[in-house]
Parts: sequence; C-alpha cells; structure tokens
Amino acid sequence: MIRAFLILLFLALGSPPLFCLQSSGSTSQRVTDSLGRRVVLSARAEKILSLQPEITRIVIALGAGERLVGVDYFILKHDHLFPTIFPGGRKLPAVSNTPEDMNFEMVMKLDPDIIFVSPTELQMVDSLQSKVRRPVVALASMGSFDKLLEEIKLVGRVLGREKRAAELVGDFQSRVEAVRKSVSSVLPGKKPRVYMSFWGSLTRTPVTYEPVDIAGGINCAEGILPAYLGTIATVVQLEQIVIWQPDVFLVQGNYPPRERPVTVEGVLLDKRFGSLPAVRNRKVFYTFGYWYWWDPAEVLVETLYLARLFHPEAAGPVSLETEGNEIFKKYYGIEGGFSSLCRVLECGRWDEK
Amino acid sequence: MKNKKAKVLAVVLFLLPFILTLASLSIGRFHIPPKDLGRTIIQAISPSAGPEVSAAARDILFRIRLPRLLLALMAGAALSVSGASLQALFKNPLVNEYILGISFGAAFGAALSLVFLGKNFPAQAAAFIFALGAVLAVLLISGRFESHTVSLLLTGVIVSAFFQALLSLVEFFASPYALQSLFFWLMGSLSLATWKDLSISLPVMAVGVAALILMRWRLNVLSLSEEEAKSMGVNVRREKLLVILLTSMITAAATAVAGVIGWIGLIVPHLVRMMVGADNRKVVPLSAALGASVLIIADDITRVAATFEIPIGILTSLIGIPFFIILLRRSGKVWL
Amino acid sequence: MSIEVRGLFFGYEDFRLSVEDLCFEGRKVTSIVGRNGAGKSTFLKCLAGVLPVPKPSLFLDGRNLASLRVRERAKLISYVPQELVLAFNYSVLDFVLMGRAAFLSPFSVPSREDLGTAAEALQFVGLEGFEKRDFSRLSSGERRLVLIARTLAQSAEILLLDEPTTFLDPKHEVEVMNLCRKLALDKGKTVIVTLHNLEMAIKYSDAMVFMKEGRVVASGRPDEVLNTDLLEQVYDIPMSIVTYDGKKIILR
Repeated sequence: MIRAFLILLFLALGSPPLFCLQSSGSTSQRVTDSLGRRVVLSARAEKILSLQPEITRIVIALGAGERLVGVDYFILKHDHLFPTIFPGGRKLPAVSNTPEDMNFEMVMKLDPDIIFVSPTELQMVDSLQSKVRRPVVALASMGSFDKLLEEIKLVGRVLGREKRAAELVGDFQSRVEAVRKSVSSVLPGKKPRVYMSFWGSLTRTPVTYEPVDIAGGINCAEGILPAYLGTIATVVQLEQIVIWQPDVFLVQGNYPPRERPVTVEGVLLDKRFGSLPAVRNRKVFYTFGYWYWWDPAEVLVETLYLARLFHPEAAGPVSLETEGNEIFKKYYGIEGGFSSLCRVLECGRWDEK
Repeated sequence: MKNKKAKVLAVVLFLLPFILTLASLSIGRFHIPPKDLGRTIIQAISPSAGPEVSAAARDILFRIRLPRLLLALMAGAALSVSGASLQALFKNPLVNEYILGISFGAAFGAALSLVFLGKNFPAQAAAFIFALGAVLAVLLISGRFESHTVSLLLTGVIVSAFFQALLSLVEFFASPYALQSLFFWLMGSLSLATWKDLSISLPVMAVGVAALILMRWRLNVLSLSEEEAKSMGVNVRREKLLVILLTSMITAAATAVAGVIGWIGLIVPHLVRMMVGADNRKVVPLSAALGASVLIIADDITRVAATFEIPIGILTSLIGIPFFIILLRRSGKVWL
Repeated sequence: MSIEVRGLFFGYEDFRLSVEDLCFEGRKVTSIVGRNGAGKSTFLKCLAGVLPVPKPSLFLDGRNLASLRVRERAKLISYVPQELVLAFNYSVLDFVLMGRAAFLSPFSVPSREDLGTAAEALQFVGLEGFEKRDFSRLSSGERRLVLIARTLAQSAEILLLDEPTTFLDPKHEVEVMNLCRKLALDKGKTVIVTLHNLEMAIKYSDAMVFMKEGRVVASGRPDEVLNTDLLEQVYDIPMSIVTYDGKKIILR
C-alpha cells in the first residue's frame, strides 16, 4: 500500500526538478533523489555500489568507473555494452537488486560510500537503509530525457565530476536539438504513427518513448494508463494494435538475436497484422528500447537512427555508424563502440527494407 | 415436472456456448455491430460478396477474436470435464484438474523455455511435455501402494511441490523481462492464441473431451470403492489409468496454450451437480457446456474491462469463488 | 451353480486364511459364522475376487475361476461389501443401474434393457417407487435392500453378501434374510452371507460354515452340525441352545 501511494505521489509531482543538490560545506552534501528522499552524503563518494544499471553506465561515462566496488546482476548478465565500455567490469562482484535475495553481508564487506538503487524497488531502499546504514540514493530517468540529464548532473556533483557532467549534458542537448531541427519541417499530419513491441511481447508497449517523439514520430500508446503502477509499461490487446493501424512497427532489438521472443520476420509474417500499413509497406524495424532504463550514448544514437527511419530525407551526410562511434568515443572513450554493439545485435540488418 | 425442468435446463446449457461465441464475436475494442457481423462472415467466405468490410475488421474477427473464442470454448470444456472426471475418480468433490501436478509441471516447462531455452523450445511444447511428465512421475511413484487413490492424491501434492520449487529456482535466475512473460503465463491468458497454436491443441482437447464424455456413465461406477467396482466387472486399475491419461492430456493441452486458469475444474462441476444431481451421464457433458460458457464470458470481460489485459486466471478466481459461496449458501446443499 | 473351494490360502501381516475343501451348493443359502477376525470377510473377498489368491483354488461347476477375466467373473459372481463409500449422491435407480457395469464397455451408456433390468431388481426387493429418491436419504435397511437390488441387476448366479444384517432393526433383518431365501428359491441363486446373528443363520440357512482363526471348523446343515461343543469351540464362551416356539435360540 505504502509503495503504491509513494509511487503515485512521485508521479503526481510531475517533471519539475525532482532531485536537486544542496551542498553545505565541503565535507558533506545533501541530495534529493527520485523518490523525494533527502540523503546526506559525506565528502566525495569514493566507493560506489550501483544497483541501477543506468546509473552504472553514467558513472562510467563520467570517468569514475574505477570507483565502482559492486554492480547488480542485470548489468553483468544481460547488458551487451557493459563489457565494451568498461572491460574491467566483469570482475566486479554482483549484488542482487531485489531485497529478497540481497546479500547484505556482501554489501557491508564492500563498504560503499554510496548505494544507487532503482526507485521502483521501494523495499530495497528501506531494507538497505535499516540494515546497512549507508546512504542510499534512488535514481532513474523513468523515460524522460530531462530527468536523464539531471541525473547525470547529480551524479557528477556527487562524484566530484561536475565538469565532465556538464560536458556530456551539453553534448547530449545539442545533438537532440539538431535532430529536432532536422525534423521540425515535417508537418504534424506527416508524422508516422509508431507502435513499439518491447519487453519480448507483442502486446507490451511503453506509454512514453521520447526518442520516438523527438525523431518526429507519434507513439500510438502515448498517454495510456500504465499496467504496472510506477512503471511506464502497459499491456494492450492485440486488437488494439490492429485498430491503431501504425505506420511503423518497432520491435525491441536489445535481446541477443537468437533469443529474441519477438522478431521483425515474425511480425511481417503474422497474418493478424496483415492490414497494418507498417506491415504492408514493410516498415517493421528493430530498435534498442529500454534495457533497464537507458544508456545515454545508446539512446542518443537510437534517436538519430529513428529520425533517419521516419524521415530519411532529413538525414545528414554522415553515416549512422560513424556518428554512433563518435558518440560512443565521446562518452566512453572507446573506439568503435557502436560498431561492436551492432555486431552483437546484428544491427546491420536493422534498417533493411 | 422436475424432469421437464431439467430437460429445459440441459438444452439451454448446451446451446449457451454457441450463442455466446457468436455474440462475443462482436464484443471488443473494435466495435462491430451485430448486423455487420453477418455481413463480415459472409464476406470472408466469398470475398466477392462485397468489398465493404475492411481488412482490419476481417483480421480482427477471424485471426484475433475467433481463435481466441474457440480456445475459450475448448479450454473451458476441457478443464471442467477434467475436473468432473477426476472428482468421480477420486471420490472427492474437492479435487480439481491440477491435482496430479499438471499446473506446476506446465509452469516449470514454460519457465524453462522462457528463461533458458528460448526459441529452440517453444513454451507451449515445453509446458505440455512437463505437465505430462509430472503426471507420469505421480503414476510411477504411487504405483506400488495399496490404497491407490489416496497415494495418488498424496503423490500429486508432493510432485506439485517439487515442480513448484524448481519453478522458483528458474524464476531466481530469470531476467526481469523473462519474469514478466512468465508471470503473465502463470496467471492465464487467452490473448495470444493463434491458429497455429490451436491447430494442435484444439484437436487434442476435442478428442479427449469426447472420450471422457463417452465414459460418463462409467465414471459413476468408478466413483464407488475399488472393491465394489472390481466385483462389478470393472478393470479398475486400467480404466482409472485411462481416465487419468485422458484428463491429463486435455488439461495439459489447455494449460500449454492458455496458461494456468484455476477454479474452473472445481466450481463448474459443482454448479452442475447442484442443478441436475450427481449422475455423471448428465454432469460430464453439462460441465463441458457450462465450462465453455464460463470461460467465454470471463474472456469477454477481460477484453472490455480495461485497455490492458487482465489475466483471465485472476478473473476466474475473483468472480468464481464469491459466486460459488453465494450459491452454496442459497441452496443449503453441498454435493451430497 | 456351485462353488468348490480347494486349498484356498491367503495371508497378510499376522493373519492366514486357509480353507482346504469346501463346497457351496447352488440354489441354497449358506451362512458363514464365527468370531470377529475369524476371517469371514476375508474369505468372502477371496471368493469375490476382490482379494487376489496366490494359487488357483476356486472352481465354478468345475471351471477354474482364476482363468476368468474380471468382466466374465462379475457376470457369475457379485459381491456386496459391508461398508459403503459414498462420495456422491446418486438416485436409487442410478445406484442399482451401476450393477450393469459388467455388460457394458467403458464407453457405453446403459440401454433401455439395462434400465428395465434395474427396475425389475428394485421391484423384486420391494422398493418399487423408490427410483428417484436420493440414496443417501434412505434408512440403513432400505439402503441394504438397494444394494441387494444392485447385485440382482448384475445378473450373477452367485451372490456374496458381507454382513447384510448388521446395524439393521429386527424388521429389516427379517426382510433381508427372507429376500436371501427368495433369491435362492425363486431365482435359483447361490447366496452366501456372513452373519453375526446366530439365530438368523440357523433359521434361514440351508447350510452353515463355522470359522475360527482362518480355518473352517465345521460345515453342513444347521440341524446336523449345530451343538454346544461346536459353539463353545468357535466362540470361546459357553453357550446353550434352547428351542422355543419351534425356533432355536442361543443363550450366552
């Protein structure tokens, strides 16, 4: 009950800055996280335990990767980027991110200065707080670019990497702005209606997906009540997809190719979707989608990719792969990061018609 | 006079599933008024009759709604007949169709497929195989005991518990995304039924249900003590095994495609017995009809209640149980 | 039709049943008497085929019973147990109808003929008009009669009844025993019953079998075999036999 109430409260508060930073003196900082909790942090966080993959990626992008003392199972087992952007990460110990099988003793042993968790795991916050007595900060972008950028800034302040954070935020904003401009001339009537099949099911779709919006598309499921409180996912009826008649059908491609529960081929061959414009015009593609929230570099590239899909005439001269690698280099300092991701996920085939 | 009333009731119950199926074709997000329904069906049979019905409407009717309704029909019948037959066999009206470990066997199979095996082994096949595997385990383990009936029930409970533990283990290793799919499967859903899924499971269920309906009188005799039945010329072990295999087959087939939908096999036969008495000549076929109707109605509700899909298993429990309690108190009778 | 028992052995845990040589004659009522635990019910169950006998030892008019399949055997021998398991409430007619199981395949439903046979059986035991009543609502006596009707519907030649008069009031006791005689005389059945009530046994049986500790101590016509020594041997207490009003009464 309390969980539901808090989540509702959180949603009701809307988008104004939900987390902010107040520094009182050089020895400690006070932080307000996604759940509205005020957390006091002492000095610069040297030992970071991150149980929220999105934050882990941000920490690495801020160049503080070597300060990580532990991560969660998802990023170690299921994340394709992690080994590329942070090769040493494989050796990090994994701590579960559900309170039921949480190894509190291991957490104590790691002795972190700060623990990042996902705000949807409310019980985690309470149990960690009471058992381990270390500062726990719940952060997630919840599918909003603004919140993602604020997150980067906050983590930057906490880790003493404000300059780097500002750099990344600026870069992100300018690239997003560029995309917005390139599709700004498109009339609202010409924006493609997009349906996304995420989370391995034809009927599970996000009620908000900003990359699609920025790339000049309209999310069919925009504004529907989420099926699970506190998340941004909903389950629609199959019929509803046919009623919507989407122009573009996106399938989540972050699953390794052989394990994809839903595939583009499958959708194209599915007789139930025969009447969809997306299927008739063969505009069924893969996209990255949420993968325990976002990776800032990946979602940036995704936005560029989607803009090209929806409005090929607005695409710039640079190839997506080149631009992608450039972004990855900026964020993670690695060469060919985007290309290697594409190899794993077989992205080369993604925008084949 | 009681006879006449019973006959009328029987006729109504038999016709109900078909009426409901037809009516349900026009229920859903996509509004198809009943008069257009007739036109659409004719148009599907001979497309030249008129191009007025959109491709979307046709797809929704015949590729989304119809398979779903047929699955509801058949699965409702299968689960109810299975429950009624097992109640007779185990001489216990509290037995349900999952008593021999089928629900957890199937759940484990589906989990295994969704979490580890992926596309190499579709969830339906894995669920079916492990469901039957669970029953086989129960038969083998309990085979050596004297009081076969009690030992079957007990072994069923144990095997269920075992698969439940295995299921928890698989859940532990699953990514949050695989868990979501599994969760929906565990609570029952008819939403993703395709003609391909039905092409195997529907005939299997139809054959099994038909066979059990043929055995309806025999179930009366099998509901007596083993001694009595044997002395009356019944090869108890063999026929019991036959009934168990048939019920397992149809329950596994239904569960493999629709997930775990509870309470139908327990409540529907009870309702029927309250209406027409315990003679299985009436109980078994009427359970099939009523079960089919109940599941179609439940599915209709899930389709119109909200934009998202409420798993049907939750609905059958939430509605079935209070309804049953009300009926019990009204009639003052239990099964006896 | 007569049953011959030759060398019947059955044992479990700490009990052994051993019947060397015994014959139950056709068209007669034979009662088996003895103390609790003497093996009467066990013997009856072996005759019925409910308990498996290791060696073939039962012969029906010369035919080895063990060679018969369950269905064939049921057409010849029927059995009414002492206790009833009742999970569902069937009507009286439906209950009696179950006796026709030996004549139907697992996938068949009783025919009109089967229904007729069942109705006739009910009539014979004096329960005409009881067809639609709930079995569970009947008195013990009426239930017993229904059970006998069921065995009658089974059309077997040999009827085995395990303690059919236990828990019945005197009126129903007499009714049941009269029925047994009627079955033997009018229908030519071989009726074998186990009884506790010695007086009933003496009055209504053509032959009696006395059992003790799994063995047959004596068998034959009541007036030939009955004496106080035998009674004391079988029941372990002194008893005396008194004749009053033409009926034999056993005093303990």
